[in-house]
Amino acid sequence: MYQIKKSRVLGLLAGAAVMLGASSGAQAETIRVVLGYYSAATQGLFEDMAKDFMAKHPGDEVKIEVIQWDNLQQRLTTDIAGGTEPDISMIGTRWLVDYVKNDIAEPLDGYMTPEFKSGFIESFLSPSTFDGQMYGLPVAASARAMYYNKDLLAKAGVNEPPTNWDGVVDTARKIKALGTDAYGFALQGKEIETDAYWYYSLWTHGGDILKDGKSGVASPEAVKALTLYKSMIDEGLTEPDPSGLNRQDIERLFKQGRIGMILTGPWLRGQIKADAPTLNYALSTIPEGSTKATYGVTDTLMVFKSSKNKELAMKFLTETAFSPKWRIEFSTKEGFLPVMKEEAAAPVFANDPQLKAFTDMLPYAHFAPPVANWEQMVDAVIASLQKVYIGQAQPEAALQEAAATIDGLIQQ
Amino acid sequence: MALSSSSAGKAPEAGVGSAKSRATTSPNGKIGRASAPYLLILPSILFAFWIIGYPIYDMANMSVHAVNRFGKTAAFNDFANYQRLFSHQLFIGCLIRTLVWTVFVVGGTVLLSVPIALILNEKFYGRTLARIIIMLPWAVSLTMTGIVWRWSLNGQFGMVNATLSQMGLLGAPVEWLATSTTAFPILIAIGILVSIPFTVTVILGGLSSLQADVFEAAKIDGASGWQRFRYLTLPLIRPFLNIVLVLNFIYVFNSFPLIWVMTQGDPANSTDILVTWLYKLAFRYGELGIASALSIVMFGILLALTITYAALAMRNERSTV
Repeated sequence: MYQIKKSRVLGLLAGAAVMLGASSGAQAETIRVVLGYYSAATQGLFEDMAKDFMAKHPGDEVKIEVIQWDNLQQRLTTDIAGGTEPDISMIGTRWLVDYVKNDIAEPLDGYMTPEFKSGFIESFLSPSTFDGQMYGLPVAASARAMYYNKDLLAKAGVNEPPTNWDGVVDTARKIKALGTDAYGFALQGKEIETDAYWYYSLWTHGGDILKDGKSGVASPEAVKALTLYKSMIDEGLTEPDPSGLNRQDIERLFKQGRIGMILTGPWLRGQIKADAPTLNYALSTIPEGSTKATYGVTDTLMVFKSSKNKELAMKFLTETAFSPKWRIEFSTKEGFLPVMKEEAAAPVFANDPQLKAFTDMLPYAHFAPPVANWEQMVDAVIASLQKVYIGQAQPEAALQEAAATIDGLIQQ
Repeated sequence: MALSSSSAGKAPEAGVGSAKSRATTSPNGKIGRASAPYLLILPSILFAFWIIGYPIYDMANMSVHAVNRFGKTAAFNDFANYQRLFSHQLFIGCLIRTLVWTVFVVGGTVLLSVPIALILNEKFYGRTLARIIIMLPWAVSLTMTGIVWRWSLNGQFGMVNATLSQMGLLGAPVEWLATSTTAFPILIAIGILVSIPFTVTVILGGLSSLQADVFEAAKIDGASGWQRFRYLTLPLIRPFLNIVLVLNFIYVFNSFPLIWVMTQGDPANSTDILVTWLYKLAFRYGELGIASALSIVMFGILLALTITYAALAMRNERSTV
């Protein structure tokens, strides 16, 4: 077996990167843009934007580099440690707080006109605003909704999708009673966004991840939210052993027509079109408990404080990347929600009834709280959820464990 | 091609050697001859120190300072990183699992590899093919092996469940990786599987170096097959077993890809070993301080165990000679 000395290699990588970086200091201005990989289209989209921009700014160069999301944070960390960070990078908006705290992100208000700023849909700006200053532009946005299998629900005698959790449980029971290999409600139990799948329940039950600067994951609402999921597992209303299935696994089951209801993002529409075009499904809102909620996620383009060409970098963003033409191109090709008003008014979005299920939820969207150590809090929550899903712990005890970890992390 | 390149490689070496030895031989020929080999390997040693030593130094340095998530070190912090590491709720669990994982994978590998190597050392029809089949998994990257097994073990779509239910052994789908009671033993089994090719190769090399006449003599003296194995083969291949044990111990202790690909330490950290947790600490949580402290601790554990084992093996060898 081979050893991956990731951490020890960090220093060497940084050194190598410094040498490479030093050799590329030409006269004409060059900006390097690092992007996260959404799909096979990402690279081409931004290459085309760069070409468009370079045609308007002869002599300047925009270099595009696309990285897998799983490696992006690690790559940027090494770059920053070695002083070879790019000029612009796409990041998960929830990472931004660390970049702002460590003085790595450049505040952007000085580089843009008020008209440009007011072109964004307001709710997407708050996650990248700290102390009244904007540190990033929301580039991709998604909200979550409920997909349901119309045929399966009809077979079980349910013609309208359930709008609340009681309805979900009831519908799932009817699907179970059919005695087929289909499951009523999909429950994700491992890997990325396992926590988010539970936040839908947490938020709609009136709970929150953080409350008044303390953890809210062990509140009575949170316990209720988790007890609901656990009771559904025990009753056989979900697929068996959820802790063995990640997001792709449950989405695959849905595409095979073996899931009645699943909560997920707009990307599944594109996948169904490609993989299961005959699936008869529709979209509805996230089931309500005591209140409405959904999970809003944005990714952000940020500019590095260390960049020597911040002016040009921002011009690339304001003139090209965030022009209506390229925004529409990007959001339609990648399957995201519009983030700018002009984009949202475009016929492709305004006339798409399915997309309405997502955009209707936006006023109720919760975002991941902008706190430091977020990833560690997420893993603490996931560990507690998994303990409950596999029957190793009771909801309240498990959640209290996560809450203690989160409170400890807040105090750090 | 090979000849010319090797002679070209030797030429400067010899030049340096003779120049050095000429310089040192002038006052005293004996000392010069004795120190020449050391002088010759000095550049390699210095290079190795730089390549291996510098990252260790850097890591050790980081582990006693406050570090932010971007690797910028600040003030010396009184071993706070180590304190936080040792008091972390996951540390002891990961340490124990690492030892269980290492002992079982290495033990299982060696126990299986010795008989396999013995069989492959016999002459039989299709031996070359059998050897190739045993070596083949070595050519597949661990990540790929992990992905294939992850798919095979998938509860709903996996080949393992499909086969078992077709044979009527399984009523409902089993999610093999959903709990640690099934996931960890499976990980260990796959760990053994991927360690066998290397181990068999080394042992096979050892077996083929044995002199046939010793065994013939033993046979004539009436030694049974087991006796020949126990009192001839085993002691004679002991140096090879030692190498295999130490190297496998180090590889397996630090083995990241299999567990990372198959479970990422899930569920609830119950399949996390130190190195997967280390990766999470460093690159997911940005806790570079604790992560560097953990790296140093792991390095210390490996160093201590390897030295202890090497010392024991050497003492044994001396006593048997």
